[in-house]
Amino acid sequence: MQFFFEVLIGGLLSGIMYSLVALGFVLIYKASGVFNFAQGAMVYLAALSVVGCMEKGAPLWLALILAFAVMTLFGIATEKFVLRKLVNQPPIALFMATIGLAFFVEGLAPMVFGSDPRALDLGIVDEPIESILESAGMVISKFDLVAAGVAAVLVTSLALFFQYTRIGRALRAVADDHQAALSIGIPLQHIWAIVWGVAGFVALVAGMLWGARNGVQFALTFTALKALPVLILGGFTSVPGAIVGGLIIGASEKLAEIYIPPVMQSLFGGNFGGIEGWFPYVLALLFLLVRPEGLFGERHIDRV
Amino acid sequence: MLYREAGQFKTSYAADQQLFPIRQDRIGVLLLLAAAFLAVPGMASEYWFSAILIPFLIFALAALGLNILTGYAGQLSLGSAAFMAVGAYAAYNFQLRVEGIPILVSFALAGLTAAGVGVLFGLPSLRIKGFYLAVATLAAQFFIVWCLTKFPWLSNNSSSGVISAQKVEILGHIFESPREKYLLVLTVVVLMALAARNLVRTSTGRAWMAVRDMDVAASVIGIRLMPTKLLAFAVSSFYCGVAGALYAFCYLGSVEPDGFSLEMSFKILFMIIIGGVGSILGSFLGAAFILLLPIFLDVGLPWLAELFHLPFSTATVSHIQTLVFGALIMFFLIVEPHGLARLWQIAKEKLRLWPFPH
Amino acid sequence: MNMKLETLVIDPPAPTRKIGGVILDLQNISLRFGGVKALTDISFDIREHEIRAIIGPNGAGKSSMLNVINGVYHPQEGRIVFRGQERRQMEPHMAATQGIARTFQNIALFKGMTVLDNIMTGRITKMKSTFVEHALWFGRARQEELAHRRKAEEVIDFLEIQHIRKTPVGRLPYGLQKRVELGRALAAEPSMLLLDEPMAGMNVEEKQDMCRFILDVNDQFGTTIVLIEHDMGVVMDISDRVVVLDYGKKIGDGVPDEVKNNEEVIKAYLGAGH
Ligand SMILES: Nc1ncnc2c1ncn2[C@@H]1O[C@H](COP(=O)(O)OP(=O)(O)O)[C@@H](O)[C@H]1O
Ligand SMILES: [Mg+2]
Repeated sequence: MQFFFEVLIGGLLSGIMYSLVALGFVLIYKASGVFNFAQGAMVYLAALSVVGCMEKGAPLWLALILAFAVMTLFGIATEKFVLRKLVNQPPIALFMATIGLAFFVEGLAPMVFGSDPRALDLGIVDEPIESILESAGMVISKFDLVAAGVAAVLVTSLALFFQYTRIGRALRAVADDHQAALSIGIPLQHIWAIVWGVAGFVALVAGMLWGARNGVQFALTFTALKALPVLILGGFTSVPGAIVGGLIIGASEKLAEIYIPPVMQSLFGGNFGGIEGWFPYVLALLFLLVRPEGLFGERHIDRV
Repeated sequence: MLYREAGQFKTSYAADQQLFPIRQDRIGVLLLLAAAFLAVPGMASEYWFSAILIPFLIFALAALGLNILTGYAGQLSLGSAAFMAVGAYAAYNFQLRVEGIPILVSFALAGLTAAGVGVLFGLPSLRIKGFYLAVATLAAQFFIVWCLTKFPWLSNNSSSGVISAQKVEILGHIFESPREKYLLVLTVVVLMALAARNLVRTSTGRAWMAVRDMDVAASVIGIRLMPTKLLAFAVSSFYCGVAGALYAFCYLGSVEPDGFSLEMSFKILFMIIIGGVGSILGSFLGAAFILLLPIFLDVGLPWLAELFHLPFSTATVSHIQTLVFGALIMFFLIVEPHGLARLWQIAKEKLRLWPFPH
Repeated sequence: MNMKLETLVIDPPAPTRKIGGVILDLQNISLRFGGVKALTDISFDIREHEIRAIIGPNGAGKSSMLNVINGVYHPQEGRIVFRGQERRQMEPHMAATQGIARTFQNIALFKGMTVLDNIMTGRITKMKSTFVEHALWFGRARQEELAHRRKAEEVIDFLEIQHIRKTPVGRLPYGLQKRVELGRALAAEPSMLLLDEPMAGMNVEEKQDMCRFILDVNDQFGTTIVLIEHDMGVVMDISDRVVVLDYGKKIGDGVPDEVKNNEEVIKAYLGAGH
């Protein structure tokens, strides 16, 4: 039982990192209706620019600032050169364009910042928290806890940003109704640029945490892909959905990885590890059959 | 005035509903087929057959499959490679486990197996659209490849799921040389392309396109959405499945599950975006483009680097390749969403006037 | 909205036309979307061969009413009796097979297809051949394609759109698109035709053409027509009976003259600021 909780908590904590990536998707989707497949590539780009700048001798704080500048520029360029040119295209065309964008970034970023896997040291050690180990006998990583804390702070500040700043309110207005947003007096294009900037920032945070945990490498983009099933669970437009979805995916994939293979092995023989690789997607697929609008989405009937 | 449809008045609806209603198209296609079946086998080298022509035809077939689903029926899939894997492994197992089964029957059954799996993963399309569906098809991509790696029975207990395709024997003749395999693949692909053309110009195709363009209106007209979408998944996966079988039996000879990667699925998607979404010709053009581009880059980039005295590594080539693919996808979606097939059409319209500009 | 009648010159319905018994009976229909009450307790009937108009201000629930009739929306309450048979839940494609066709307020053509293909698609319920026959261009497939092509060409001739049959519909001007959409519905040879604002956004000439087509369809094929239209001139001229909706409630029902003089109707229209 103790082991179960250990796995569960570990899963929940790593799930928070999925939530972080998913959050970037939700922000862009809410504000511009674009399903940004390149969010994973953005996480990779952000992490690479940090280690890239540090390799050139920049201290961590400077590297972070530079990386943020890179992400903002990237967001603005994407808006200006790609999305703006596709405004009247069907959503599916925009989606495919972001797949192209993802490839573009995945080719460009390693060319600029180098492609070999590198470690990223944020100064937080990945070791069990001793007090918990002693009192409950469970291994809970210090790093995971810090990561979860960072994610919580980020989510809270984003919520405050949306609630209390003029730009934040405009962003929410765009999500509801483009016309209404115009009446607030902020040009739509600025709003989109800002959203991409914010999404870039979220990608940066996610990239830091993922990169510090697993190393900065191309595989990051696959991990980030798992934000997609998170979104299906949580609903594409819901920030709380992204959080809860991330927790569910994180916990369930870890539990599945521990508990399913032995069962399969006793049935078929052989080794059935690596369930983590597909479990979130299949879970999302099954979930779609039951509740296509997601946990927090609203059912909607096409208007004709 | 080379390409002129004016003056070709159709005197019956039958004439207007031929496979290729315009005479020049008919002649062009016949010439192309004659070249592919008669001229090419005499001229091409072994390298051309096994490194360019055979993979081109096989990927064109897979792209055609995806185009049926995405281009005609409007259902986006990111799992085409996985359905190819199903085809490859199914054909292998039919050959392995059914005594004396003809290879072509195995291929057909492989297609049907893929179709069945395709329908299974197409079920969510009944309730969701667009990129939701794309995510659901990722499940197929990862799950199928995992199953093929992990269930030893599927690869006859080989390590990490590698299989070696059996001999291709038809009516006592063994297809061994690249030229023979090319002719076999060509025949299969041409027949299936004609069948696809028939499908999309009759009411099956109209039902798919109706669902793609406006699903509510389609159902109001009397199209049942569920069977229509699932049929698109089945037919599309059938095409991918046969392509996968050919990929294993006539191209690589031995394949492993990880070869049918997400990357390959994306490649097939890129083929239809660049070639032309909703165009059979486009599937072929796109496959040629996506397969040839890396070859050009492989040759051209080192040459360019040398010309400008730039440092150069093979890793850079692969990065540039990825970057160029991405850039091209965005470029085509922005500038010519109907892809190369549309450019070809525009060229034909120009030819219609040539040599008189007005 | 103006209630003047002189905007259009239209021949009144041919007096020879016989209006039959009740073909569709809607009883106490209520439809909600979340908190929005789109339709509240609405009852009216439609007789065979008649032209039945539904009018009312924007958001009154007119389109929702059509959507209920052909199964796109499912009302929470009420009974629908079509040709003597009650149905509660029905999917749109079943309505189509029972002979109900329809056009949409916002044109819902298949944008990527030609005019001819759009109209051929309208005949889909009448086609029997399977996809295997299609793929092989074998058996019934060929005969069927040709037979239905002939029928589609009849519709094209009727609507006088021969010159655009091979044009992708996305490239056509608005007025022609509306006409093609009517063509797609007619191709199904429906016994009941639901038209959602078929003349919206048209100029007087185009409206006259459309009115003529509607009257001809009704007259030549005996098709029952349910028509949503804002132009009172047209409504009063061509319809046999009119239902008036306002805020999802029925506030009037009767022959045009009755409705025109109904206090509540006049108030609703004046009150709505038209
Ligand atoms: N699919 C839907 N989802 C939510 N609300 C809807 C939908 N369809 C219609 N409504 C609402 O129902 C009411 C009636 O709409 P509608 O039938 O389109 O009116 P009309 O056609 O008379 O202008 C409106 O308040 C509209 O917002
Ligand atoms: Mg309406």
